[in-house]
Parts: sequence; structure tokens; C-alpha cells
Amino acid sequence: MSGSLDWLWARLQENPNPHVLDCGPIRSPTVAVLAERGCRLYVGDLLSLVWRADGMLWDRTPEIPLFRTERLLSELPAIRPGSLSVALCWQLLDLLPCEARTEVVRRMLLYLKPGGVLFLILREPHLTKGADTVWCLETLTKLAARAVGEKPFPYPPLSNREMQQLIPAGSTKTVLTRTGLREVLAVK
Amino acid sequence: MWWERKAEIPGSRKGETQPASSMIRVATPQRETPMTDAALKSSVIPASNHASYLSGSLVLRGELSGKDDLVIEGQVEGPISLEEHCLTIAAQGQVKSDITARQVIIGGSVVGKISAAEKIEIRKTGHVVGDLKAAGIAIEEGAYFKGSIEVVRDKAGEVPRAAAASRSAL
Repeated sequence: MSGSLDWLWARLQENPNPHVLDCGPIRSPTVAVLAERGCRLYVGDLLSLVWRADGMLWDRTPEIPLFRTERLLSELPAIRPGSLSVALCWQLLDLLPCEARTEVVRRMLLYLKPGGVLFLILREPHLTKGADTVWCLETLTKLAARAVGEKPFPYPPLSNREMQQLIPAGSTKTVLTRTGLREVLAVK
Repeated sequence: MWWERKAEIPGSRKGETQPASSMIRVATPQRETPMTDAALKSSVIPASNHASYLSGSLVLRGELSGKDDLVIEGQVEGPISLEEHCLTIAAQGQVKSDITARQVIIGGSVVGKISAAEKIEIRKTGHVVGDLKAAGIAIEEGAYFKGSIEVVRDKAGEVPRAAAASRSAL
């Protein structure tokens, strides 16, 4: 069982129809679990686009290549600002360059309602592989790795301090796991 | 320009034509080469025996409604309404508009809102951009989806179980 998800859903127990954004590839177990809970689910697969690592995300015209964050964020569906209760970003921030992390988190915070939660999985420094792991919800409080990846992580890990700096007006809660991953809840 | 034509059921008995209730209206059929039976069977997701077919060479612009199951292999730009029936969009089918049906099976491309009284199923070859609203949703691994999903509660207030299609191949 995931301690962070347990905390998250306990926080949402008064909300019968939370709006949830899934930033990963859509998986039937996640859909089933969230539908059972009464959630309205938004799906915008940012992770698959990053995994493909094709040229469309990088502008290599200038001397220093620029990451096209807006191109990445265009994969999100139309979401009313301030409407989301939860944004499931999985391991997205571990796969983005520093300059993109700030903008992605800023966009997620825009979509979250006050008190809304950004759920992230971040790696510990000693974990070097698994960048293409696909996560889903087996139950509301149980995470499952549908496909355990072997790709190396492309960027340095995000520290807790750096994570807190991305949420200047909010708070973060970190739950350590035995798998070398941290489950982070960033509350708006 | 609209005219009616009787849609023939593949595999039906010789000499039989489809009942009037399943007529569909087509705009400008542009049949270049007739599809062989083998090509038809290999590209079509199985539907009921009484389904109508919009073949791959057809492009329909306008409102489409009917009282029978429908399989789309061509292109449709316009709202589709099959209130009590099943709509199947084959792997090469493309629909750009809203869909309302009893059940929707998507193997091709859809851009628009999809509303089903029973179930929406997206196959691994499916590419859907839009909002889904149904009593049950099933999405195969490998399918592309961007939009929102809303599972409609029944009258008792209970959330119907969302089907979990975990098939890895069609």
C-alpha cells in the first residue's frame, strides 16, 4: 500500500467527484479504479512523448538546444484552471531538464484548485535505471509498475529542496519507499 | 446532394436486401475500386450480422443517423447518432465530430465527443481526441487517448464497473 496515496484519498473523502489528471499513458486499471471512485479523469500523455525522445521536443537551432516545454504541454487536454483535485505526474519530473520542470509544475498548479495535490514519483540518486517504467493504480492506495523500465534517467535527480522551491506558496510531503523512489505530494 | 440507397449486409442470403429501417444516407460516394471480401474482412472489426458499412473509399460530410449497427471504414465529418445501436470505427476509419450510440468501438481515429449509453471501447489501434461519457470504458494498451473520461452513474447512484480490457492484441 502507498502511504502517500492513502493520505491523498483520505484528504479527498469529502469530495464525491474529484477531477483527476493522468499525465501518463492511459491504463485500464487506473481508469477502472478512478471511475469506481467517481472521478472525472483527464488524460494527457506527457510521459510517452518524453519517452519517445524524438526531435520535436528540442529546438537545436540555437547554440544551446532549447527544450520545447510548450510543445510538451500541448499534449494536455483542455482543463479549466482551478478545477483539478489531483494531478498524477508519475515520474515526469525525473525525465525533464531543469528549465522545463519549473514551467510544467507551474502549469499543473494553474490547473489545481486550492488544496489540490500534485502527485509525483521521484528517484533517489542511487537509482539510475527505470526511466521508462509505466505506473498505474491497482487500487486507490496501491501503485503498480505495469512495465518496469530499463532506460537510464537522463537528468540529475530532483532533491527535496528543489521540489519545495518549485512550489513556493504550497507545501510538500515526501514518503520514502523501499524501491529507491520517493512519493511526493505537493499541495497547492 | 442526398439520396437513399439500400445498404447490403455482407454475408447475408442471396437476394435479400436490408430492411428499410437500416437505410443510411450518403452524400457523394466515390467508389474507385471495390474492396475484395478478403480486404474487407481483414480490416473490419467484427460487428453484428445486420450492420451497415461505410467503406474505406467513402467520405461523408454531414449528419449521420440510423437505426442499425454501423461500421465505418471511410471518413465522416459530421455528427453521428445511433441511439440504440453499435458504432464500430475500423482501423482505417476516421471520424471528426460528436458520436452518440449505445456502444462505440474505436479502432481508428476519432476527434470529438463520444457518448455511449453502455460502453466505449478503444482498441490498441485507436486514436481518440475528445471527451468520453459512458457507463463503461475499456481501453487497450497501446491506444492513444487525449481528453476526459466520465463514467455515468446509474439511477441507483452506484458507479458501474469500468471494464478493464487488458488484451494486448486484437
